[in-house]
Amino acid sequence: MGAPASFLYNDNNPADMAALAEKITETLGRGTLPAEAVVAACDRLSRRIAPEEHLPALLALGLTEQRARDEIEIAQTLLSRGWLEARLRTEFPDGIAEETAFVPFASADGRQVRQRWAPLGVLLHIAAGNADALPVFSVIEGLLTGNVNLLKFPGGGDALSEAILSALIAEEPLLADQIYVFATPSDDIAGMKRLARLADGIVVWGGDEAVRAVRALSDPDTRIIEWGHKISFAYVSERGGAASDEALRGVARNICETQQLYCNSCQGIFLDTEDDGEAAAFAERFLAILEAEASRLPAPADPFVQAQKTLELRTAELEALAGAARVFRGAGVSVTLYGGGEGARLLPAIGYRNTWVRPLPRGRLLGALRPYKGHLQTAALLCADAGAGAGGGTGAGSPPEPGDRETLERLLFAAGVVRITDGASMSRAYCGEPHDGAFPLRLYARRLSVLG
Amino acid sequence: MDARAKLFLRRDPYDAAGSAEAFLCAVRENLAWHAARNPAYRRILDAEGVDAGMIRSEGDLARIPVIPTLYFKRNRLFTVPEGALRVGAASSGTSGSRSFVAFDAPSFRYGLAMVFFFFLRHHVLSPLPTNYIVLGPRPDRILGSGSEEDTGAGAAKTAYGTTKFAPALHREYALEITPSGPHVNEEGVSRALLRYAKQGFPVRFVGLPPYMAFLLSALRENGVKLRLNQKSKVILGGGWKQFASREIDRAEFAGLLRETLGLGPENLLEFYSAVEHPIPYCKCARGHFHVPLYSRAIIRDPVTLAPLPEGRAGLLSFVTPLMTSLPLLSVVTDDLAALRPGADCGCGIPTPYFDLLGRAGAGGAKTCAAEAAELLAKEAG
Repeated sequence: MGAPASFLYNDNNPADMAALAEKITETLGRGTLPAEAVVAACDRLSRRIAPEEHLPALLALGLTEQRARDEIEIAQTLLSRGWLEARLRTEFPDGIAEETAFVPFASADGRQVRQRWAPLGVLLHIAAGNADALPVFSVIEGLLTGNVNLLKFPGGGDALSEAILSALIAEEPLLADQIYVFATPSDDIAGMKRLARLADGIVVWGGDEAVRAVRALSDPDTRIIEWGHKISFAYVSERGGAASDEALRGVARNICETQQLYCNSCQGIFLDTEDDGEAAAFAERFLAILEAEASRLPAPADPFVQAQKTLELRTAELEALAGAARVFRGAGVSVTLYGGGEGARLLPAIGYRNTWVRPLPRGRLLGALRPYKGHLQTAALLCADAGAGAGGGTGAGSPPEPGDRETLERLLFAAGVVRITDGASMSRAYCGEPHDGAFPLRLYARRLSVLG
Repeated sequence: MDARAKLFLRRDPYDAAGSAEAFLCAVRENLAWHAARNPAYRRILDAEGVDAGMIRSEGDLARIPVIPTLYFKRNRLFTVPEGALRVGAASSGTSGSRSFVAFDAPSFRYGLAMVFFFFLRHHVLSPLPTNYIVLGPRPDRILGSGSEEDTGAGAAKTAYGTTKFAPALHREYALEITPSGPHVNEEGVSRALLRYAKQGFPVRFVGLPPYMAFLLSALRENGVKLRLNQKSKVILGGGWKQFASREIDRAEFAGLLRETLGLGPENLLEFYSAVEHPIPYCKCARGHFHVPLYSRAIIRDPVTLAPLPEGRAGLLSFVTPLMTSLPLLSVVTDDLAALRPGADCGCGIPTPYFDLLGRAGAGGAKTCAAEAAELLAKEAG
């Protein structure tokens, strides 16, 4: 599939850039591309995705084959008409193209106003270095809301995203005027500024460094939409009954399937207890469950990643000799238990099935997690009266209080968590789900008001 | 009598056969030294049931508990009181973290002696007046800044130090630290090079490979074509690390070197070392890092860390008895390598050699959770 001539731009060429600016102005003057055109193109594309073509790239990331196939199926779903229309309905209940007319409350003259949604205009998407087609979904969100999209690829380019976008334009040639792709290196400040000046909004995916860089190079009149890096964990309370094997298996499955790579992957488990002995017993129990899941879900091993994990695990073991930590090792998995004051810290897991358990009684939860507020995302909550989380009631600890689950939800949300699930669902999205605490499509749109 | 004397004061750095007994003796002495004075290290030895008496042959060296270099980036494990520490060595600051490694006076003396003999062997030491291009910033611009991990002062110090091995006529610095970050001093270097070429003395380039590659590319873009004194040397240490995305091929590098400076591969000296393993390794004429008598290289399984047979790829680890300030006796680096017998090389150096195969890590498969994790680690650290 050949990319249209206008597709890949060289922003180092001032003549090119001037021509682009002119072209964008022209496109904006033509009015908004209807969401239906985008939905139809995505839907046609989703039917054409061939799993075998994309499997190797996902396997190289370290995902299990099942998970990789699931990911591709998810991509197909995310591009389907049903999904996209449901998303639009969730975020724009009155319709993205509909005009609402009404007489405002306490209007002095009883005149009608009209309100409607409109695109922000031009969005610059700055994609992270992740090896998934994330930039494509970012651009599609921009397209659905009618925006012209400039996409800056991460350092080494992104062949997958480029191919998908070309295919999308082939489905709907009108999209050619709405998508422009650049390979500007992030450290080319002048080039990045030229791009930023064209944009009404900048969508940045990446760490604090990337966000800081975008804030520095953009003008104050530009809206910045930040999708920063997040961290997720499980919170297990065994008041009123031990967590069930099934619920813990869900957490273990998430750890094994995602290799703890995603923002919504479980990094580790906070346990609602003061008692280090109880925490140790739990860590050993979880190790067995994790080991069983891991053997059920073999993952291709990249020797470079494996070596890195080995070094980190060895370091953790040596550190444990001097401190309050203990490392429980299983086949291809490990659980590091942090006792004492270490329990109250949210630190990275070694990853790739090397996780942690930290005792963190609910009374200290809020204070312990608040310092990480901007970076928290999903918490899997396993506790009594939680349905899936409630166990056989063998009576670990004190009985559950009425409304136990509500209490813990409230505490987690107050700490900065934006999403609560069970273990197995941590990395599964539902249609219309907010992203990092916001409705993304609305951030790419403006609400217009006309009086008279 | 310090057993290190029989090892680090030898004239031929590759006489491992002649110094085998001295090596084991120094290892036992070093192990016993740390075990007696360093309770934290003692706990590590006890956990694996190892003591000095067990090290009777080369095969026993792998039993000494191996400590990842990462450990020294996160923990202080000094055996001598901090007041006895003389020279701190900062890591190159690849990921912004530095190691807690420093020399006491005896270790530093033996280290210097070792470097002297080693450089003599590789013709790094020269009495000829020499012009320098330092592929780094002026050390006096950053040494006083107090924050070595940010500026890579360790690497700069090393580069500057290397200009002491042949008498310097002039030093030009390829990097300028400006408020907006490091800036390549293309103009100054070009001017200096033209002058150096006219003067005809040997020229030495010292520093890290990425800077040299940038410099050569810039020279080519400006159409610079020089023929420097054939006794000139390009002395490079460290790796490509954070510049990995711009790594250029070795052949391309050699081509650039020939085209812009008129130098060949024989003028290129590439060193390997680590803050946590301060022993020098130099690529031989055939491009292999032979192990000098100061250390033994052990390749370890990337999962179990068990020693692997020759030829197998794994994590590169070393045993050396150089340091009394802290137990760097047995460390494992994050480099992957394979070890082969010296005879397989054919360059004439008899000791085994290793080839670097890459660096442990997530590589391109870095994702949001991993980066968030790093970030949180930084905040919490």
